[in-house]
Amino acid sequence: MNKKRLLMSLPLFTLTLTSCAQQIDWSTNLGAYLYEMEYHSGFNILQLTDIHWNVNSSTASSKQYLDKVLAEADKHVTGGIDLVELTGDQFMLANTYHVKTFVEYFETKAVEYGFMYAIIWGNHDRHGMYSPNWLADKYREAPHCIYIEPEDNLYGRSNYVINLKDGTDVKWQIYNLDSGASFSESPLAIGRNYDYIRDDQVNWFKAERALQPAANAIAYYHIPQQDNLEAWNTRSTRTHKFFKLEGFGDADKPEYKSDFIKEGRALKLKGAFMGHAHNVDWTVDYDGVVIGLGVKTGTELYFAHIDPADTKKEVVEGLASLSTPIDQKFDLIGASLVTIKDDTSFDLEHLYLNERDGGDFIVWEKW
Amino acid sequence: MKFKDFFSKENFLPSTFDKKQRIQSLVISIALIVFFIFTSLTFFNMLYSFADILGSIVSGSPDVAGKDFLRSLPLFGSFFMSLWTVLLLQSLFKSKDEETRMRAVFKKGIVVLSMAGFNILYVVIMRLAGSYSSLVEGSPSCLYPLDSVLYSLLYIVMGLGAILYAKRFKEKIPYTVPVRPVAPMPNKGIRILYNVGVVFWTLIALFGLTGGIMTLCIYDFRHEWAFFGIAVVLIYLLSPILLGFWQFYFHELKEEKKKEFFLPLSIVSTCVSVLFVVLYFVSLATNKDAPANAGFGMFPITFTATANYGTLVVVITPLVVSLIALVRAIIAKFKK
Repeated sequence: MNKKRLLMSLPLFTLTLTSCAQQIDWSTNLGAYLYEMEYHSGFNILQLTDIHWNVNSSTASSKQYLDKVLAEADKHVTGGIDLVELTGDQFMLANTYHVKTFVEYFETKAVEYGFMYAIIWGNHDRHGMYSPNWLADKYREAPHCIYIEPEDNLYGRSNYVINLKDGTDVKWQIYNLDSGASFSESPLAIGRNYDYIRDDQVNWFKAERALQPAANAIAYYHIPQQDNLEAWNTRSTRTHKFFKLEGFGDADKPEYKSDFIKEGRALKLKGAFMGHAHNVDWTVDYDGVVIGLGVKTGTELYFAHIDPADTKKEVVEGLASLSTPIDQKFDLIGASLVTIKDDTSFDLEHLYLNERDGGDFIVWEKW
Repeated sequence: MKFKDFFSKENFLPSTFDKKQRIQSLVISIALIVFFIFTSLTFFNMLYSFADILGSIVSGSPDVAGKDFLRSLPLFGSFFMSLWTVLLLQSLFKSKDEETRMRAVFKKGIVVLSMAGFNILYVVIMRLAGSYSSLVEGSPSCLYPLDSVLYSLLYIVMGLGAILYAKRFKEKIPYTVPVRPVAPMPNKGIRILYNVGVVFWTLIALFGLTGGIMTLCIYDFRHEWAFFGIAVVLIYLLSPILLGFWQFYFHELKEEKKKEFFLPLSIVSTCVSVLFVVLYFVSLATNKDAPANAGFGMFPITFTATANYGTLVVVITPLVVSLIALVRAIIAKFKK
């Protein structure tokens, strides 16, 4: 090939790298984001969050832990687990082996327990030795996995709604939002900001809600919004529970405040649950919307060790909030469970499950 | 000076070699490239492991970090024995004199052999202790940790080969390529600084090679992120390409040609580096979400503190290296 031809072929090569798929406009394709499940009284949602499989993980021991969590939750609920919400950071610094093993594992468990599982992207799910598109495809291909990501102009990847239908009526809506990862404020910025639920996602949520105004809604996403911190700062006036042993890891500048909770409150959003900060499962009734972080699942990366003898204010406050007194050391890992009671309300429980040689530590704590 | 003048066969040292020496030189060059690629791959894997361990420490869970480090030690071992093999081959390629060359090959052979032996022994002990539930427990690959053992066997062969070869050298001289002399340093301080700089530059190039190729494979090149992706590939591959260029082009030149070409080559290197760095920042300015959303796995070391330090180091280093070369070339010209 002569030099001229080689030079001419470079832009062509560049073009082959870029995707040319046609984007849909979310505002005129609201139906493209819907998935339906059958509603029943007592419909339950098990939230597993921040599993964090990575190159250092022993997937064998992690699966053993997940086995115990799923078995415990299945035993605890009436009629088996209905839906598992995986609220982000399933992976961090992982590779294709981890993704394949993970999806295979959840497919096996979905068949064993009869649940479906829904996927939400966390900030770290993008930080792997695989293409984000390939990961999305793996989720799409899994028969028991709920994952919707149209080629659209809506910010983020996993934005979709699960309609819980009783006959033709939608009783509840479960919103799954991609709260993003992080972004540079300028090309020369040393730091990056955590992402937040963007305006177009809030508008999409409002548009979807307008189609089902009678149904109540619960939302799941990964990164807490600034509402969590605002609620924490005014907690003395609110009903709240569980532990906050680190910051929320939100996009903490006022210009990155999302209107999601504010808008949701006016649109019958009853609860919003997230992950991201592993040492936090603090939950609060924030003017009618219960917002809280799920209990971190498993021991990857980091997690809180709670010692009842600890005099730190946050530990004392957290322990005092529990209805079941815990007088032994335990780790803040496990799962969270939402059980929809009726057309308007739900129960929330946190499961603390620690593997121990002489018998596992298992505590269910009600909100 | 014409473009083709830079590539005239007569400019290069191998033109003074006989046929056997040329073949041996070529084999060592190919081996260097192959093991550089191995080192680059294992470096990336090790960085992933290290980044997670660092993340645990920063997040206040040293217990998790310790557990992860013990489990993933063979990943670190795989990188270091690959790197030492590159250094071993580099000693064959370039050295102060014949005596130093063989001493270095012998010493590095022992290091490679020891590391490979340790890696195998470590996996066996961890398996016997029950820390690995099986030899194919899985993560980060389906064959881990057995794949580390198999990989170590290759380096047992490399290390043993180097030791035996260095021992036999006094009796017989099978490797006949003349030494390519290392440039003398004015003092010890400069030498240490230079060596630290070279090691750092090599690490960036190792990172850039796998990072650049991986970006091509995993990056989400959709519409708004494509420009950034292309800029990242270019800036990543620039480091190993520049390193290879100075190693296999510049250091292969005869001394008089080195002096003649130093300034024009360093100008070209600086211009290309400036262009790619500018391209990177312009592409980032057009979509500041891209790094985090479109395949951020290529910057494993920068994720934990949501900081850009690692990214900036990777981006700036080729430019710094080119500028240093340019300054040295200008000083050399001025002295003349």
